[in-house]
This record gives sequence, C-alpha cells and structure tokens, in this order.
Amino acid sequence: MTQENRSGRPQGRPPEGDSRLSRVEAQLRGPFLLFFVSAVIWLLAASVLGVVAALQQGAVAGGPFRDCEVFTFGHIASVQRNLFVYGWGFNAFFALNLWLLSQLGRFELRNGWLATLGGAVWNLALTYGVVQIFAGHQTGFGLLDFPREVGPVLAVAFLLAGFWPIVAFARRPTGHTFASQWFVVGASFAFPLSYLLAQLLVLWQPASGVVQSIAYSWFVSNLLLLWVAASALAAVYYFLPKVLGRTISGYYLAPVAFWTFFLFAGWTGPAALVGGPVPLWIQSVGVVAGAMLMVPVIITAINFHGTLSSEGGWARAWNDTTLRFVSFGAIAFTLFGVLNAVFGFRGYNAVVRFTSFAAGQEQLLTYAFATMVLFGAAYFVLPRLTGSLWPSAKLVHVHFWATALGAIGTLAGLLLGGWQEGKLLADAAVGFPQVVKAGSAWNFVLTVSAVLLLVGHVAFALNAFGMILKSSAPASEGRHD
Amino acid sequence: MKNLNTLLAGVFLAVALPFGALVISSQAQLGSLGRAPAEDGGPLFPSREPGLAIQGRAVYVSLGCVSCHTQQVRPAGQGSDIARGYGVRPSVARDYAQQKQVLVGDRRIGPDLANYGARTSKIDLEALLRDPASSGAASHPSYSYLYGRSADGKSIVPSERAVALVAYLKSLRQDYSSPEAKLKQ
Repeated sequence: MTQENRSGRPQGRPPEGDSRLSRVEAQLRGPFLLFFVSAVIWLLAASVLGVVAALQQGAVAGGPFRDCEVFTFGHIASVQRNLFVYGWGFNAFFALNLWLLSQLGRFELRNGWLATLGGAVWNLALTYGVVQIFAGHQTGFGLLDFPREVGPVLAVAFLLAGFWPIVAFARRPTGHTFASQWFVVGASFAFPLSYLLAQLLVLWQPASGVVQSIAYSWFVSNLLLLWVAASALAAVYYFLPKVLGRTISGYYLAPVAFWTFFLFAGWTGPAALVGGPVPLWIQSVGVVAGAMLMVPVIITAINFHGTLSSEGGWARAWNDTTLRFVSFGAIAFTLFGVLNAVFGFRGYNAVVRFTSFAAGQEQLLTYAFATMVLFGAAYFVLPRLTGSLWPSAKLVHVHFWATALGAIGTLAGLLLGGWQEGKLLADAAVGFPQVVKAGSAWNFVLTVSAVLLLVGHVAFALNAFGMILKSSAPASEGRHD
Repeated sequence: MKNLNTLLAGVFLAVALPFGALVISSQAQLGSLGRAPAEDGGPLFPSREPGLAIQGRAVYVSLGCVSCHTQQVRPAGQGSDIARGYGVRPSVARDYAQQKQVLVGDRRIGPDLANYGARTSKIDLEALLRDPASSGAASHPSYSYLYGRSADGKSIVPSERAVALVAYLKSLRQDYSSPEAKLKQ
C-alpha cells in the first residue's frame, strides 16, 4: 500500500492493479469522508486551543485572554479536551470502525444516509455544547462538560453513526471472525451504555454525594478504555498483519486479551479516587483492576511487538507510513498499561495524585496510542477511498516528526513534570508558589510541544484535504478508473 | 467469538457488573448519609448550604475553577495535604452529603479548597479575585470582570456573581468533627 518516493520515504497510494473502488468501499465513501473531514477540523480547533491553554497555564495571571471571561483557562482547557475526544476521536473512530467492519465482514452500507445523519447531528450537538461551555454553562465534570440536554442528542447520534459496525458483524457472510471485529463491536456497544448511565447518575438524577464522583470515574475509564483504546486496538490488530503480510504472533491469545481487557477495564475507574472521600474498598478495587489490566496489555505486547520483531518487521515499519504510526501507537499502549498499573498503587499514587501526571497518562492513551494509530489508518484508508495519492511526501514527513516529537514532549512535560511537582508537593515545607515556579520549565516544554502538534496537524490536514479535493474534481487525476 | 449475542452479552456484563458493584452498591452504602453529630447531643454537621453559596457554586462551575482546584483533603500518609494546612482532618463522604453537585476535582494547578473558607478571610478572597498579582498570587487568573465601579466611579463594587462566589468559597469548611473523622483535641 505504499510506494517509495524520491526521498526514499513511503507515501500512501491507491492499491496497485485495483482499477475500481470496491463496491463496499464506494458505499462507505460518503459517510467516511464526512466523519473524517469533521474529525480533522475538530482536531485543528483542539490543537489551536491546546496552544492557548499551554500559554495560559505557563503565564502569569492567566496569560492570553486574561481579562476575558469567555476564554478563561477553565473554559479553554475544557473545550480543548472535549473537542479532542468527542470531535476528533469519535468522528475518526466512527469512520475507521465502519471501514474496518465493512472490510472484514464485506458489509455493504445501503443506508449510508443514516450514518451521515448521525454524523451531522453529532457534530451539531458538539458545536452547541462547545458554545455552551464558552458561555459558562458547563457541568463541572470533565468529558461530561456539555449541558445535560446535549447528552441524549449525542447518544442518539452515536446510535445512528456508531452502531453500524455491530450491524456489519451481524450480517457478515462468513462465520470466521477476527480480533479487530470483537474489539470494535465491544467498543460500539460499551460506550452508549456507559454514556447513558453516566448521564443519568451524574447529570439528570445525580447520585448522592460522592457517589457522583464514583459514577463519574467509572464513566471516564469506560470512555477512555472501552471506547478509545478498544477501537484503537482493533485498528492495530488489523493493520499490523495486513501491511506486514503475516499473521499476528501468538494470535491464539487474542481472545484472552479481548475478554480480559473488557473484564478488567470497567473496574479501573476508582483508581482515580485513591486517597479521596470514598470507601477504601472501592479505591482498592480500582488499584487491583489497574494491575489486572496488565494481562491484556502483556498479551497485546506479545501480539504486536512479537509480530514487529520477526522477519525485519521494525525495519519495514520504519519505512512504511501506516506502520510507522501504528507501531508508535502500539508501543505507547504497552507503556500506558505499565504506568497505569504501577502508578495506581498507593505509594506512587500519593506522589502523582492531583499533578499533571494523570493528564499525561490520558495523553499517552488518547494521543500517543489512539491518535497515532488513527493517523496510520488514514494513510492506509484514504488513498483507497479517494483513489488519489497523498499530494505531498514532505507534508507526510512533517506530520510524523512534528506529532511524534510533540507527543514525546507533551508526555515528558506532563509525566516527568507531574512527578517533579508531586515530589515537591509531598514536602510540606515547599510552598505552593515554589512548586509553581519549579514547573515553569515544563510549561515551556508543553507550550513548544503544543505548537509542534499544531504544525503536524496542519500538515496532515493540508495533505488530506488536498487529496480529498483532488479526488472530488470532475476529472480526478489520481483515480485509476 | 462468532456469535454476536454471546459477544454482546459478555460486553454488557463487562459494563453492568462494575456499574452495579461500584456505583449502585456505593449508593446503597452512602446514599443515606446525612448530617450527624460527632458525639451524642452535639451539633449537626455538615452545615446546610446557604442559598447564596448555592448560587456561588454555579458561578464556580461556570468559570471553570474546578479545572485547577480540588476539594478533598487526603489522610496523612497519602500526600501532605494536612501538613500543608489544606485541612485539619481528611475529607470523608459525609462532608459532601448535602451537596447537590460534588466538585472534588482531580487536578491541583492551585491549592485545595475543601477547607478554604476556614483559612482565608473575605477581604483576602476578594483581593485575590480582583487583583491576584497584588495579593501575592501572580499565577492566579484575574476575575476583575466580576467587579465594577460604583455609580460615582470612586470605588470598586462586586457584582452579584462575585458576592455569590465569595459566599460559596467562604462556605467551604471541613473543620468540624464528624462520626467518621473526629478532630484531634
């Protein structure tokens, strides 16, 4: 799926010898491109806000927009996180999950207008929710920030846009199934359940006192693990063997990875409440579940890294755009699992609790893993759906290096900075202003990294939109019809 | 793994069991918590929230303060919260039983506020919101837009939202004994 360009680096291209888009892919094209274009637009918006939030956090007295109520750090940070997860992450996984299950199940999407409608409703509700946050009408619960009336609309939109993989699985013509299918079906079913229950107990009929916090922590872990991570795992299970042209190492363990992942992930939420005003047994359940999550993490490490380690897999990954991004993501997932298990334990948790470390862990999962895998998937799928080449190999390079370095810088700033912050906070003799001052170097790293991510995303958007526009032209040059 | 119903049933259980065990059972365990005396015949705590403080909580949420401030004091041995003076005892579930919206938070870009009302004065609080730089908190954002000028232009007056926000922050206290966390004499 790649060709060597003049600089010797890979660039995605339509499949050789495939003179027509397959019927399955042709039917997917409309909804897929709607989701994908929406996702990239939200990603750009989130990236700009990421730079603003980094400047605000590192500046004296609020930094940019310091006297503007609409753009307080609380609003900017909240909108940025929601746009990144619900705008970029959901739209991109709507597109990718639909494509994956259609490919694996040879599913023809005959009612694509329903998915398109779902995508339109999702993005309109998201826009409304963002405006409401800027207007000061957020709920105070991160990732459930939108006013409660947005929740049911998003749930309906999800059913229209994100439920198709389950239909595709049900209607597949063959009995055989793949790990990617299990993870996508699980993710597509687990998210709406979790979202509706959380909406109910956190926003519509709030549970008593700190039970709200427990319900909220349960939801956040489900959102990040059972939707974002499960969808990204599905993609890795597909692209690694597909592009390398070999089977996954230890594939017989994949069902164990799937079931243990879903079995333990739902219990990990209360690890975020260690030391908090909730019963100790609930905190302990979260810590133990985080450690047990190492079982699927180890299995996926055997599956992914084992596959890449045989027959020059790493070298091939380095020279293939899709694999380079996907491998980056696979490493990040393993690292996330280890950090999640180790820093759940009380000794370490006490140090990093309330610091930027938790944001670093979320970034490791949602960006270094899921987003990098999504980028890799885009380099594989878009040339097939548009029938065009990526317009610029240079932009592909800028995209990879800017996002990879930006992700590493962000993780260093959040994780190492969080650890340093935690160690200083643990010493009561160190005043809070001194802790803030000590973090200023990390704030600089975070700001530079946010700019790098923005540069990478702009490069990706220019290339992707250029490719889509080229394929939409009446006499599309890149099509091999 | 080939049967959709089996797959969906398994995923349903993977979502429902933790929800039942963590959320529903904790509702059963903590849902009936209310105001209670630390000892027989003692005063009931936590205090009921004043109406103005409830309005102030809405301002606190609308400004996004929860992005930077927690409202929970960890026990000794789990961080230095008590040694830092954030509270005089660890927070317990009963402290939040009266709150319609629980804002324990998960990030401290600024100090914890669980017992903030007990450790700051109204004057210092207003100075911090209006002009943080001159009150020694240069990294705190300014909320000067919550304040305006009097009709004669000679003095600064707080808006209704500023009054409510200050009332809310002053209402944040966990400096009483409760059955689960008694203050040391």
